[in-house]
Amino acid sequence: MTDDAVTSAPSRSGPHQILLACYAVFAVAAGARSLVQLTTRYDEAPLAYLLSLAAALTYAAAWFAIRRAAAGSTGPARVLLWTELTGVLVVGTLSLVEEDWFPDATVWSDYGRGYGWVPAVLPVAGLLWLHRRAKEPVA
Amino acid sequence: MGSTLDLIGWIVVGYAALVTVAAGTGVALRTPRPSWLDQLVLMLTLLGAVLAVAALASLAGEGRPESLATFLGYAVTVVALPPAALASVREDRGTWSCGVVAVAALATGVVALRLMMTR
Repeated sequence: MTDDAVTSAPSRSGPHQILLACYAVFAVAAGARSLVQLTTRYDEAPLAYLLSLAAALTYAAAWFAIRRAAAGSTGPARVLLWTELTGVLVVGTLSLVEEDWFPDATVWSDYGRGYGWVPAVLPVAGLLWLHRRAKEPVA
Repeated sequence: MGSTLDLIGWIVVGYAALVTVAAGTGVALRTPRPSWLDQLVLMLTLLGAVLAVAALASLAGEGRPESLATFLGYAVTVVALPPAALASVREDRGTWSCGVVAVAALATGVVALRLMMTR
């Protein structure tokens, strides 16, 4: 089969695929990191490690929500992405002003600096995609 | 062994960067995913496998990494990530599937870098 023959992408094709790929990578990365930290050195920074686990669960839930949003149900994705953005901003700010609370970094520390600030960009990109999607005419 | 691991690691990082740029260009140009991009991803998988084997072999020599679980996690991820991304867009050769490949290749490069840093 040639490339041209399969160019007509199915309806599930779109920019949300990049978001889904990013969320899948971050769910696995944050989940694995937090589980290793929680099981091997929980006492060192329990709040930071639990927040990283919360971030991982948020990414996993957002992955499912974005998939649903691509099919038409945008409500859960909107709630989750705003929750995620709030989490990044609150944890990022607290990690700067209350350094004692975080003996070790979380995924969202310093607004996600340890991950190239992608954690701060992802929910914004997701909300922009949802905004654009809401403006698209209904088929 | 450490220097061998670093050498292979940097090759993987450089190749992953190349695949990222190639796939990103596909998105920028809004072209369907070409079959040669799949072949680049398969080559990246092969290089990742070589890096993982070298990483495991390095455990037999010098002292263990600070976090063995993290190190092994990176070794598995560097092999599994590219084919997983390719499988997720198996039936879709649209423009945006190039973006999925770009994300996976970039993440593979970062994981290879982290693998070297944790050794």
